[in-house]
Amino acid sequence: MHILLIEDDQEAAAYLSKGLSESGHVVDHAADGEDGLHMALNGDYDILVVDRMLPKRDGLSIIRMLRADGKTTPALVLSALGEVDDRIEGLRAGGDDYLVKPYAFGELLARLDALTRRGSDATAPTLLKVGDLELDLVTHKVRRAGKEIRLQPKELQLLEYLLRHADQVVTRTMLLEQVWDFHFDPETNVIDTQISRLRSKIDKGFERPLLHTIRGRGYRLSESD
Amino acid sequence: MKARLLHTTAIRLALRYAVFYALLTGAGLGVLYWATSRYVDAQISAGLENELAVLVKVDRQEGRQRLLAILRQPPMMEGENRRYLLWQSADGQTRVGDLKGWPPGLSADQRVRNIWIEDALIPHQVEDQDGYWPMVATRLDDGSQLLVAQSVRLAENLQEFILTAMGIILLVTVGLTLILGWRMGRQMLERVDLINDTARQIRQGNLSMRVPSSGRNDEFDELAEHLNRMLNYIEQLIRGMQEVTDNVAHDLRRPLSRLRNRLEVTLLEARDEAAYRQTMQDAISDIEGMIRTFNALLEIAQAEAGSYRGEWEAIDLSTLTRDIGTLYKDLLEEQNQQLHLHIEDGITIRGNRHLMAQAISNLLENAHQYAGPDAQIELLLKRQQGQVVITVRDNGPGIPAEQHKRVLQRFTRLDSARSSSGSGLGLSLVSAVAGLHGGSLTLEDNQPGLSISLSIPLSSQHSAPQQG
Repeated sequence: MHILLIEDDQEAAAYLSKGLSESGHVVDHAADGEDGLHMALNGDYDILVVDRMLPKRDGLSIIRMLRADGKTTPALVLSALGEVDDRIEGLRAGGDDYLVKPYAFGELLARLDALTRRGSDATAPTLLKVGDLELDLVTHKVRRAGKEIRLQPKELQLLEYLLRHADQVVTRTMLLEQVWDFHFDPETNVIDTQISRLRSKIDKGFERPLLHTIRGRGYRLSESD
Repeated sequence: MKARLLHTTAIRLALRYAVFYALLTGAGLGVLYWATSRYVDAQISAGLENELAVLVKVDRQEGRQRLLAILRQPPMMEGENRRYLLWQSADGQTRVGDLKGWPPGLSADQRVRNIWIEDALIPHQVEDQDGYWPMVATRLDDGSQLLVAQSVRLAENLQEFILTAMGIILLVTVGLTLILGWRMGRQMLERVDLINDTARQIRQGNLSMRVPSSGRNDEFDELAEHLNRMLNYIEQLIRGMQEVTDNVAHDLRRPLSRLRNRLEVTLLEARDEAAYRQTMQDAISDIEGMIRTFNALLEIAQAEAGSYRGEWEAIDLSTLTRDIGTLYKDLLEEQNQQLHLHIEDGITIRGNRHLMAQAISNLLENAHQYAGPDAQIELLLKRQQGQVVITVRDNGPGIPAEQHKRVLQRFTRLDSARSSSGSGLGLSLVSAVAGLHGGSLTLEDNQPGLSISLSIPLSSQHSAPQQG
């Protein structure tokens, strides 16, 4: 996808551009707020990655201007300010996600993926499906190969999130934030346990596993390996 | 001091009040003066008219000679309240009485008027001087005229007296106001100087200085108390900041040097790709650990400083605790630890959801880490004596009572646990979160094992952050 990166730290921008290009994306870079706003208004981008503190115009103001102009291009805010307040402020300004520096590059990739695919299906489906695994959103019934699987409420939410982001890598932090609404960083990996529990219910006894662990990054629910 | 005193608010206020009181008193006295003058004028007029009537009566009933005899006597009343009489024949040639001539401008219409009297008209033996005199005149039957006049002495003296009194009263009022203002200004200045001295000393680095209180419980004491409380808070923040800086230096230096050495050693010789890859993976884990420590330190500092107060919200603590308990249950069971939840329903507090969740999760991770395999761990939430208490207890090895306090300090990993992972910041963060919510963290012997309780008072949830 076509990414506009607005970041004044030249070195960080160079690494980010390189990493994003190598991950198959096309990256344009703006080094200050005014350039960034100009490019975002006139270019056709799939997503914006905006640093919060920028020379000439700060990141949140860029997003506010874009939203005021009717542009709905998803925006991910990067920030060195870590307080929960700042995060809320970032989302309130019209940002779609917020990532605090220092962050793992995999986390950024996964979130960009999640943001760009989120808006693609406008009609709300009543049935989510990956391979022969399906979740009926009306009855909350889960079936694999026609066989009903019983899940606990949280497991259901977890599966729903994975299904909505099928074929994308989702990170542990994303799951903790989106499924549990917890914005903290546990020292132990509670999410791994939850995943393996879900996996034992949806994959166990089936020839082809659907829930994959991507080492060092997170998980992916997908028919292909 | 004196030059400054002139610039104080008190003196400025005093001056303003002095002017105000002077105007007020002046207006009051003016009204009094006017009323008195009118009264005196009325009295004089009545006296003059009365006397004129009596003289006319004498002329009619007892004859002209009797009237003229009366007029030839010296002025009637002695002293200040002197009255003058004058008769003048119809042709204006003959005059009998006290004045040396008929005052110009006086018509014989029996109405009391103030008429200008020249010195030349006044007899020499009298001390009266020219001025407007009240007088009344009438024309007798044969066309001659008769006047009765009153010297202005009496009215003038009364006016002078009132004016003098007014002056004295005004002076006293202004003087008293100024003296009072001066004294008040001095008193205020002295107290303000105390505060200024304290501020000066604090600016010079003596952070523990506090504004002394007079014990009078007045506004200055209130101000001093507010300032002192603010200073306490600032000192606490600064101490916290210093501590964080110290801790960051202390606890990040070790993993940083480890990371550096790891990378340097790898670069010493040419290695295969797998080795480089491994080193980089290890380096990333090192960095992740450092970031976690760093974040925990920041969170503790912010919680202790109370800077999370902006995002206070109602938290359904029952649901939150149950969600976290359920999240950790499976993790604990992987190590054969059993987690039992005893959660009272419908408990809501006001607070920071993010930090409460972090605190509960830290308590569980602490038990998970130190209670040992096969431990029985309980997570309890209940109301108890006006408090909400979250307890995590286990039947593991526990901590000796004398070390309970040390555990809450930053970076404490008791010797027995030194080799295990974790930043050692978990419980200090819980303690800071408890403080932020006005509560406390207590450790108890669970016989066997450890019981840690986070208590938050239900009533005083908006109190200032706890010190310490």
